[in-house]
Amino acid sequence: MTTFVILAVLIIASAVFVVSAPRTVYGVIGLLANFFCLAVMYLTLDAEFLAVIQVIVYSGAILMLFLFVIALLSSGVRPFAPGKNRLPNVLIPVSIFAAIAFAGLMFTFAHTSPITEHASDVSSIFGPAGTAGVFGSVADFGRALFTTYLLPFEATAFVLIIAVIGVIALAGDVDPPRKGPGRRAAPGKPREPILKERV
Amino acid sequence: MPVHVMGLEGQYPLLFLIWLAPLVGAVVIWAFGPRLRTWAGPIGCATIAVSFLATLASWSDAIRRTPEGATTVVGAHQTLGTWLSGFNLGLLWDPLSLVWTLVITGIGFLIHFYSMGYMAGDRGYARFFAYMNFFVFAMLTLVLSDNFVGLLIGWGLVGLASFFLIGFWYERPSAVAAATKAFVMNVVGDVGILFAIFIMIVAVGSVSYGDAFAGVAAHKFSPGLLYLACAMLFIGCAAKSAQVPLHSWLPDAMEGPTPVSALIHAATMVTAGVYLIARCWPMWQASPDARALVGAIGAVTALLGAILGVGQWDIKRILAYSTMSQIGYMIMGVGILADGAGVLHFFAHAWFKAQLFLTAGIVIHALDNEQDVRRMGGLHKRAPFAFWSMTVATLAICGIPPFAGFFSKDAIVYDALVLGHPLLYAVGAVTAGITSYYMFRLLFVAFFGTYRGDVDPSSLGIRHPELAGTSAGLAARPHDEGSPHHVPGWLMSAPVAVLWIGSIFAGFLFVGGTSSPWYRLLEPVFGGTLIFPEGNAPISEGVSSAIVLALVLIGIGIAYLRYGNAAALRDAITRIRQESIRMPAVLTNLFYFDIAIDALFVRPARAFGFAFGRIFDPLIIDGAVREARISAGWLGHLFRSFQTGMVRAYALTIVFGAAVFIVYYAVVVVR
Amino acid sequence: MAVPLMYYITLSALIFLIGAVGVVARRNPLVMLMGIELMWNAANLAFIAYARAYLNNAGHIFAFLVITVAAAEAAIGLAIVVAVFRRSDTVDVDDVAALRG
Repeated sequence: MTTFVILAVLIIASAVFVVSAPRTVYGVIGLLANFFCLAVMYLTLDAEFLAVIQVIVYSGAILMLFLFVIALLSSGVRPFAPGKNRLPNVLIPVSIFAAIAFAGLMFTFAHTSPITEHASDVSSIFGPAGTAGVFGSVADFGRALFTTYLLPFEATAFVLIIAVIGVIALAGDVDPPRKGPGRRAAPGKPREPILKERV
Repeated sequence: MPVHVMGLEGQYPLLFLIWLAPLVGAVVIWAFGPRLRTWAGPIGCATIAVSFLATLASWSDAIRRTPEGATTVVGAHQTLGTWLSGFNLGLLWDPLSLVWTLVITGIGFLIHFYSMGYMAGDRGYARFFAYMNFFVFAMLTLVLSDNFVGLLIGWGLVGLASFFLIGFWYERPSAVAAATKAFVMNVVGDVGILFAIFIMIVAVGSVSYGDAFAGVAAHKFSPGLLYLACAMLFIGCAAKSAQVPLHSWLPDAMEGPTPVSALIHAATMVTAGVYLIARCWPMWQASPDARALVGAIGAVTALLGAILGVGQWDIKRILAYSTMSQIGYMIMGVGILADGAGVLHFFAHAWFKAQLFLTAGIVIHALDNEQDVRRMGGLHKRAPFAFWSMTVATLAICGIPPFAGFFSKDAIVYDALVLGHPLLYAVGAVTAGITSYYMFRLLFVAFFGTYRGDVDPSSLGIRHPELAGTSAGLAARPHDEGSPHHVPGWLMSAPVAVLWIGSIFAGFLFVGGTSSPWYRLLEPVFGGTLIFPEGNAPISEGVSSAIVLALVLIGIGIAYLRYGNAAALRDAITRIRQESIRMPAVLTNLFYFDIAIDALFVRPARAFGFAFGRIFDPLIIDGAVREARISAGWLGHLFRSFQTGMVRAYALTIVFGAAVFIVYYAVVVVR
Repeated sequence: MAVPLMYYITLSALIFLIGAVGVVARRNPLVMLMGIELMWNAANLAFIAYARAYLNNAGHIFAFLVITVAAAEAAIGLAIVVAVFRRSDTVDVDDVAALRG
């Protein structure tokens, strides 16, 4: 229980920090902390394989990607500042919506029949982690993934291919080859940003 | 549905020739007018001549009597076809149609011939003859039909031809206005005839004359219904024949060229009403109320026309009002069942009225389109032929024996007395006196004395000298080409000379009682009592004629004293000016008929049209369409405000939606 | 003491909503994407908690697939952000209003 409470507090705090960090890099670090604490929580839930996957993929790959992009772009926007004359500060309204939604969810859960609780005991009858036949083992996970859930697996692979192609198409070519000397002649002039037009 | 056919049934190809030759002429001239140019005149005359000769050739068919069963049928009948049950269309060729057709084609031919001279040099020369031929075709349709529907078709077509011809010089707004006025008033008459046709169909189930008259005899019409049918038919007659209160289009119709006035508005079209009432005499015979109505209106029109003629200065308008007055006589005659006299007056009137108009045309032409008699004078020296023609015709119209008008007018008036209408007799007699007054006024002012054309118009009392020559005006002939063709003068004089014959001798047809040519011709159609009515007259015919003649001579005498004697001729200019200035307002405003019609009908109709066209339509109908567009736009604008293009706004909407859904689920579903 | 399932679910909901607030209220697209990552993770937590509660592998499988798809989505999202904001000075998602209308 204490594990849970500590982890929960950390997760919530880091989540809030991510969303409200003054600089984006801080937010990424907060996200890292969040992912890590979540991985630990998965461990308390006997999902060892997924905990490791969480660390490797999420905090290892995705957050690296975030850092690269942050490095690529400048970010000089203060958090929660209202835009110049565009959408005003919506923090208050959306927080209210979120609170209402949360209250609704809790209300729902309070009125549904309780589930038989299988506590997260580490010292369980389930046996050592990793052994086939134990809940949360890699062997079981692998067998299920490649037999019962083969189709979603393959589909997800397909999604990944598409994502790779999409990323290359979107952000691949930076500068197409120029024709004629005109453009090169005045290199000092900054080009117009793409989407500044107010339609 | 039993079909009663008037006339011997058969095939009569000559009838088609009579009827359709003018149509062929009209179509040919319409189609090839620009190329035909001056050939249009001879072609137009030729078709009418063909029609006339075919009429003469068919004379025997018209008067043939054939016994059919117990009755004797006169004339010929050519079936054209059956459209629906009850709509059997055909041509009826009997003595009454014969009389009308002779006038239409015969006098029509003379007028066409005259037009070759009168319209020479006009840019619309070919168009004129096309329209005139079309008119003759339409009038023949009217007269030759054996049913009310054919009559109505012809009725409408002559109205159309009249519109074309009155507005012939269409660049003149006054001509166009007059043509429109004539057409609209004629349409009122068309509606009357249409309602009469409705009544026919309801009562008898057929539109042909034979069935209608058989129905009258078989008492299929209740008295009220018959009176209503006659009254509706009479509305048509009143519009077409310029009877009160639908008469005001006729003087304005003088905007057309003079041959048009002669043919259409004197001899033929305006007599269509007389024809209708004469044709439908069985209906009038069965309805005393209809007789009273028609007789009264005929008499009123005769009197009113004469009074109005007294105050006119335009030569054509004087003649127009005299036409109106004389047709009032005819209508009165046929209305009270003195059809023999009425139709005789039509026949004689065609001759002398055509002569009057054509002579007036010669005068107008000679004086370079001057029509105001105040600016004429002394013409008996300058245009002797015109003078003598006008004199002969004037004597005819006044009813001086032995000229044509004497026999017919006296017959009508005396028959009114015989049939028990002393008031109508009095009106007719007095009108004869007034007629002679204003006709001789015309004669004296225009032809005697010295020529006043060079006198300053205002010293003659002419208030609008630029309109001098009024209807025609000096801008009359906008179509004239630069150098007029030089056509021989006899083109215009020869027809007038021919018309002398009728003006002098037409009345003799009536001489001889029951062995007169007129009686023998028309008795099969009408029966003897309609030609020589029987009744009790307080005075004999001789005394009646003497009374009328006395009134006529009094009228001539007054005219002579005012305009004709030496003193009057010497002071002509002063007297004319005095009379122009002092003309009573009632006369100059034409008894306020035009003003009344304007106030009662034209203005409300205009206001109605304005209300709908300028107010209702743009505001409500267009407004509805506009509102649809605006509300569609408003709705679109509303939805457009959601499309800010901003990602966060969309995300906010999603979160909002999720919250709503969660709350809904929690509160409604789970509970 | 065993932790009731509902605690995990409540935590998951809370993280989800914090992520949602972050997506809407921040103007930096990168922070928005991070908020979206939080939402993915909250869903994952729910999956795994339920898997443990019902002793069913399916939750693990789907959490795995969710991680995969989240990775793909993050990649695509970042590529879009790069493509859009490559040449601009500030990274402000409110500038991207070309679909306004």
